[in-house]
Amino acid sequence: MAVERHTEGGSEPVSGVPRGSRTVVSRGLLTVVAATALLFALSEVVASSSLAHGTLLTMLPFAGALAIAGLGQTLVVMQGGIDLSIAGGLSLYVVIVTKYPAGVNGRLLPAIGIAIAAAVVAGLINGFLVGRMRLNPIVATLGTNALLFGAVLWYSAGIPTTTTARLAKVGSGVWFGIPIPVYIAALTTAVVTVVVKLTPAGRRFEGVGANATSAFTAGVKVRRYAGGAYVWAQLLYCLAAIVHASIVNQPTAYEGNNYLLPSVAAVVLGGTSLLGGRGYLVATAIAALFLSQLDQFVLALGVSYASRSLVEAGALAVGVAIYTIDWRAIVRRAFPRRATTLAPT
Amino acid sequence: MLERRRGAIVVLALACVAVMVTAGASSARTSAKPSWCGPKKITLGLTDGFGGNSWRLVTTASARDEAAKCPSVKSLSYADGQGNTQKAISDIQGMVAKGINALVVFPDAGKAILPALTSSFKAGVVTVPYRVTPGGKAGVNYNVFIDTPFQNAGVAWGKWIKQILPKGGNVLFLSGPQGNSQGLEERVGLHKVLDPTHKYKFIGAQPFEVTNWDPALSQKVLSADIAKYPKIDVIVSDFGPSLVGALGEFKKSGRTIPALATSDGNVLGCYWQQNHAANPTFKLFTVSTQNDHARLAIDWAVALATGGKKPSTTPFPALTFENSVTGKPHPVECKANLPGDIYLSAELPATVQAKLVKK
Repeated sequence: MAVERHTEGGSEPVSGVPRGSRTVVSRGLLTVVAATALLFALSEVVASSSLAHGTLLTMLPFAGALAIAGLGQTLVVMQGGIDLSIAGGLSLYVVIVTKYPAGVNGRLLPAIGIAIAAAVVAGLINGFLVGRMRLNPIVATLGTNALLFGAVLWYSAGIPTTTTARLAKVGSGVWFGIPIPVYIAALTTAVVTVVVKLTPAGRRFEGVGANATSAFTAGVKVRRYAGGAYVWAQLLYCLAAIVHASIVNQPTAYEGNNYLLPSVAAVVLGGTSLLGGRGYLVATAIAALFLSQLDQFVLALGVSYASRSLVEAGALAVGVAIYTIDWRAIVRRAFPRRATTLAPT
Repeated sequence: MLERRRGAIVVLALACVAVMVTAGASSARTSAKPSWCGPKKITLGLTDGFGGNSWRLVTTASARDEAAKCPSVKSLSYADGQGNTQKAISDIQGMVAKGINALVVFPDAGKAILPALTSSFKAGVVTVPYRVTPGGKAGVNYNVFIDTPFQNAGVAWGKWIKQILPKGGNVLFLSGPQGNSQGLEERVGLHKVLDPTHKYKFIGAQPFEVTNWDPALSQKVLSADIAKYPKIDVIVSDFGPSLVGALGEFKKSGRTIPALATSDGNVLGCYWQQNHAANPTFKLFTVSTQNDHARLAIDWAVALATGGKKPSTTPFPALTFENSVTGKPHPVECKANLPGDIYLSAELPATVQAKLVKK
């Protein structure tokens, strides 16, 4: 069988895991750290107001929430999928944790419980459709997204509710000069990374994403892992939603829309291949910081709203281009002679 | 859990209906028949382009409350376009097909709604669009358009700014989506009052800082401006409640909240009451968010359809509401025990609004 030949031959993995990338620091992490450092340096020179203490205290919590949401998206992308239901899911969880307590602190914990239950249900729907029924993830999660927005409107009628004081205290809290959401994001990144990279289940999860056929022949329950990614993703969106609700005093019923493109952008900039395979979780989290700072940087420049959108879309395009285009091949093709004649001398 | 919630919602919906019926009945009992209410019995329709926020809920309830004042109105049907232009159009056509006598329309989609309004008007239904201009002409495409001059809100804010900052200062204007006509008109009013003095400088992006009326974006925009401009003397915003979360940015930067000229909302009034002592520069001036605009539209539609007396004006005025400096026409109001998403400037009682928005 083709599968056996493939594994016996010991050929290189088909997608996602590039050869020789089993180093501790990935190319994605290096790139995104360098890009982030460059952006901060540029911010200091061109728009130093974007690095003012107050601005950082505003930007960092948003970056934290985006990092957590990005981790969820990374898990799905590692399985070769994509989760468009992040918009509806995150909106729903924001609405639940603000509307259910309706200002009463004592009802906050039950609200978080309900939001988690909703996240599990949403994740199971996606997981069932993509993992078991083998539907195209774009179509399946788009459908779930519509369902989730239906739930948002049913529950809230689109009306925003003010965040409870206890939750707002978490979002605006600062420990040792750093906002609490940053600690939450860092802890979440650490936990998810350890689980994926160091536990047997995590290794199997990554293996399924890299090559489902080999994983299947190795006896791994492929469907369970492929579908499970959506459940974990929704749980992470749920955490991101709680953090988001704690930062924004009166979140609207459509907050998730602000996370759709940036969450995918964070994954791509972090270097995780959209074809699935190895996930660069820390790089995703740093890419979230990059995107949030980019947002503040462009705001501080004072350019028009249209330019702001263009710069953000441009960052995504550059990110995709860095990882997916074979630049060396292009250079070789463009200057074939020079490359060969220069080599011996 | 779902069952329990559903059960709770049914009970609350019944409670809302009960409250509204009693409110309607009591106002009908206590006040005499208004002059705009003629003798002819009619059925009335009300369509919204988008009904999904607290402002719309209160506005729709205000319209129902107004219609309930006139015993000649036998019934009022309501349809929500849910932000879908096609649905908004078919809602209007459906109402006409049902045989209603008068129709009040919030044409969110603007000119896209004009053909539906025209066919309704030509079918002999008294057609009254309000608030968003649908284009066309009164008497040709519809009976009458109940406008509101957003410019006047800008003028009112400008005059207040002149009073509290007679020596001039830096003005930061925040509005909704890029190019929204409300923000552009308000800006014209602001400039009309402030420019001749040559003392006020408009800072931030022009014509206004884009916030999409989204609290998260407002927060980011405001924090960027705070870092960029060491001196912001007054903030002008056409949706005060969405700004409440963002005002905390001043504290993060170790600055006090500046004066704020905006529109009213319970959450904002309460925020001012909690924070003005610690922020001496935080003066507040609000214009009404105009939930009662729908009432004037109902008055016109009912007057034309029932043969009542027409109201004296078509445009709904921009009414000033709170002024923390003079206390006139009202001091800053806060009902701390009620939800933040209600509008104390509306005629509809606060407790009735609270029942509407709080499930």
